[in-house]
Amino acid sequence: MAGSLSVDLVAAPPRAGARGRLIRWALLRLGGVLFVLWAVATVTFFALRLIPGDPAEAILGGPGSQASAEALAQARADYGLDQPLFTQYLVYLAHLATGDLGSSYALRQPVASVILTNLWPTLLLAVLSLVVALAIALGLAVWSTRGGRIAAGVGSLLEIVAAAVPHFWLAISLILLFSTVLGWLPPVSVPGPLGLVLPVLTLAIPLAGFLGQVMREALLDAMDSPFVLSARARGEGDGGVFWRHALRHAAIPAIGLVGWAFGSLISGAVVVETIFARQGLGRSLLSAVQSRDVPLVIGVVLVVALAYMVVTTLTDLADRAVDPRLKRVSA
Amino acid sequence: MILLIAGCSTAAPASTEPVQGGTLVYATGDAEPTCLDPHVGGNYPQALVATQYLESLVSKDKSGEIIPWLATEWTEADDGLSWDFTLRDDVTFTDGTPFTAEAVIANVAHLQNPETGSSTGYLALQHVTGVEALDDTTARISLSQPDSGLLDSLSQPWLAIESPTALERPADENCESPVGTGPFVVTKWDRQQSITLERNDDYTSPPADAGHKGVAYLDTIEWRFLPDSASRYAALQSGTVDMIDNVQPDTIVAAKSEDQIEEINAPRPGASNRIELNSSKAPFDDALVREAFIRSANVNDSVTSLFFGTAERSYSALSSVEKFGTSDPSLFDYDQDAAAKLLDEAGWTDRDADGYRVKDGLTLELDFPVSTNQSIPAEVSLFEQLQSTAKEAGFKVNLEPLDLSSWYGALGENDYNLVSAPYTKVGADVLRILFDSAGTIPAPSGYFANHSQVKDPALDALLEGANSTSDDAERADLYAQAQDIILGGFYILPLYDQQNHYLLRSDVKGVRAMPTVSTPTLYDAWLAR
Repeated sequence: MAGSLSVDLVAAPPRAGARGRLIRWALLRLGGVLFVLWAVATVTFFALRLIPGDPAEAILGGPGSQASAEALAQARADYGLDQPLFTQYLVYLAHLATGDLGSSYALRQPVASVILTNLWPTLLLAVLSLVVALAIALGLAVWSTRGGRIAAGVGSLLEIVAAAVPHFWLAISLILLFSTVLGWLPPVSVPGPLGLVLPVLTLAIPLAGFLGQVMREALLDAMDSPFVLSARARGEGDGGVFWRHALRHAAIPAIGLVGWAFGSLISGAVVVETIFARQGLGRSLLSAVQSRDVPLVIGVVLVVALAYMVVTTLTDLADRAVDPRLKRVSA
Repeated sequence: MILLIAGCSTAAPASTEPVQGGTLVYATGDAEPTCLDPHVGGNYPQALVATQYLESLVSKDKSGEIIPWLATEWTEADDGLSWDFTLRDDVTFTDGTPFTAEAVIANVAHLQNPETGSSTGYLALQHVTGVEALDDTTARISLSQPDSGLLDSLSQPWLAIESPTALERPADENCESPVGTGPFVVTKWDRQQSITLERNDDYTSPPADAGHKGVAYLDTIEWRFLPDSASRYAALQSGTVDMIDNVQPDTIVAAKSEDQIEEINAPRPGASNRIELNSSKAPFDDALVREAFIRSANVNDSVTSLFFGTAERSYSALSSVEKFGTSDPSLFDYDQDAAAKLLDEAGWTDRDADGYRVKDGLTLELDFPVSTNQSIPAEVSLFEQLQSTAKEAGFKVNLEPLDLSSWYGALGENDYNLVSAPYTKVGADVLRILFDSAGTIPAPSGYFANHSQVKDPALDALLEGANSTSDDAERADLYAQAQDIILGGFYILPLYDQQNHYLLRSDVKGVRAMPTVSTPTLYDAWLAR
C-alpha cells in the first residue's frame, strides 16, 4: 500500500488540480492521525504501567479487599500481566492494529462496547454545551459591544468571571441554587431533558466566558477595519455593517476555537459526569484511571484523541468556508 | 444453643403499619463493584449490595451473638476439627434450585478455587479442608486446626451461599447476576449507572433478628452509583434518592438540622481505624521512638475539630462493636514533654535548623503513604494536623497521597514508617491477621496485612490460642493479653471506629444495619408515603 501511495504522489502532475491536492491533503492528514493514535496509545500504556503498584491488585482489589497470592497469580495469568512489560505492549499493539481494544479489567466487558454505550451521552453533552456556550458568548459579545460603556464593562467582567470559574465549584453552586434552594431541577442526572440542564450549564458557562472575550475583541477589531469604512461609504447603515460584515469576522476566531473548546468540554465532562452521576466517557475514564484499568483508559483516550482530530479537521474546513482568503493562501 | 430473637430492633414507630410496595432509590458513594458476586475479590461495595440478594449460613445479633440464618443449628466436634451445620429444609434459590448441603459444598469449593479470584472469603476459609453432606440438611465442615472464628467468618456477606446451579455458569455471567436466597433479586445492571433489584416473591428465610417474616415490603430497589458526596447529599435533600452512604462528617452535621433526614451510625467491625507504626526498620525499631511519636500526636483535638463530634476517639485495636476489644486511654495521652524526653533517651538529642531531631547525621524522618481511596478527606486533614504536632517533637513526617495501586506498591517495598489501612472483618480474629508474625511475610504480590510488622512469639501464641479455643472466657482472656502487648508496645495509634454513616429520608422506615459487617438491609424497609 505504501508503495502505491508514493507512486501516486510522484505520478501526480506537477500542476495538480484541486482533486489531487485534496487527496494528498487527506492522505497526509490520515497518516498524521494514525501517528498520533499510536503515540497516544504508547504514552498512555507506559505511563500507566510505570507507576509503582500492581494492576493485579487493582483488578481484584478496590478498597478494603486483601487479595490472596493465588488470586493474584490467577489474575496475572488471566490478563497476561505475568509477561515482560514490552511483550505486553507488543501484544496490546498487535491487537490494537486489528481494531481489538481488549477487555476492561474492572467492568469485565469489551472496551469497544463500553465506549459505544458511553460515547453518545458524552457527545450529546458536549455538543449541547458548545451550542449553548456559543449562544451565550455571542449574546454577551453583541450586547457588550453595542450596549454602551456600562454594558461593555459589565459584559467583559461577566466573561472574565465565567471563564475563571472551575467546573466543580460551578456545578455545586448550580445544584445548591436550582435544586436545593429553588427545587426546580434535579441535582443528579435523571432520564429526560430536565436532567441535562445543569450539566450543560456547568460546561457551557466557563466556555462562554472564554469564547465571549475572543468574539468581542474580534468584533471591535472588525468595526475599526477599513472594510467597515468602505461599507459605510457604500451607504450601509449601522445595523447592516454590524450584522452583515463585522459579525462574520467575529465568527472566525470562534470557529477556530471550536476544536480547542471540544477538548476542554471533554475534560470538563470528567468532572461534570462524576458530579451529576451522568453516564459517559468522562466518568468511565475517571473510574478506569482510579482502578488502573489500562485497556479502558487507553481505549477512551484513543477515542477522545480521534474525536478531537476529527473536530479540528472539520473546523479547518469550516474556516475555509467562512473565510475565502484561506483558500487563496493555501493554494 | 441459645436463640436470641431481637424483634423489631430499629423498626418503625408502633403507630404505623408497614406498607407494601414502592421503589427505594439507594445512592452509594462506594466504588461500583467489578462483580456482583462477593465471592470474587470480596470488598465492601460488593457486601453493601449483596446484602440485599444473598444470605449466609449464620448471622449476628446486636449483642454480638451468632444467630441462625440459613443454618438453624451447629455443633463443634470435641476435637474442634469439624463443625456440623443443620440447614433449613424450606429454602429455594431464586433460580429454583433447592438449598441443601450440596450448596454448602459447592460454595466452599467456589471460594477455594483459585480461578474464582476470591480474596476475603478465601482467607476466611484458610483452615477449612473440606465439606461433606451427611444428609440433605446436614453439612460437615472439616478443619485443619480448631478455628473459633469460623462462625464469625461464615456470617460475612463475602461467604454468602449462592445457587450451585448458578455457580456453574461462566464467571462473567455469575458476576452480572448472582443467584441467592435473599429478599431481592438482581434483574438489571447498567454499568456506571445503577443496579435494579426486584422483590423475591418466594422469600422465606430472614435471619432470626429480622423485623418481620415473609416477603420484603419494597417492590424494587434502584441501587445508584453517585460518586460525588456533595451531589449525593443534594439528591437526598431533594428526594431524588431515598438513602445514601459514605456520608462525610460535615454532611452528617448539616443533616441533623433537617427534619426530613435521619442518620444511621453503624461503625464497621474488625479493626479500628488506626495509624500503624512500622517496627521493622529505623527509627521505629526503637520502642522509645514509637512511644515518642504517639505521645506527640494530638489526636483528640484533631478528631474534635475535623469530625465535629461525629466520630468518637478510640483507644483500642478493635472496633467498638467487637466484644473482645479492650482499650487503654492512658497509653495515648498527648504529652510533648514526655515525647521530648523519650527522644532524648533514644539518642535523638540534636535538632537541625528546621527543628527536626538528628542522630548520627540522620534526620528523624517518617514516610507516611496515604491511600486517598481509603482515607476520607477529614482523615487526610487529621494526618496533616498530626504532622504538625509531631513536628513540635522533632519528627519530620512526609505525607504522600497515593492512589491505591501505588499505595500497595509502597507497602510491598517496605517503603513506609507510618500507614493507615482499614480492615473490616467480623470477630476479634482480625488481630491474628494484623499482628501475627506470619502476616509480615509478603505474598508474591508484596501484600501483607501486618503493617506494624510485629514479630513477637508470645503474641503469636496468644492469638493462635484464642483462635483455637471456643471457650468465650478463655478467648476473652487471651485476646485481652494480646491487646496489652499490641497497645503497650506502641505499634499502633488508634483513631476511631471505621466510620460508616447512612442518611435516609425520614419517610423510609424499617432500615437497619446488619450487625455483621454493618451493611444496611432493606428487607424490613418500607415507604410511609
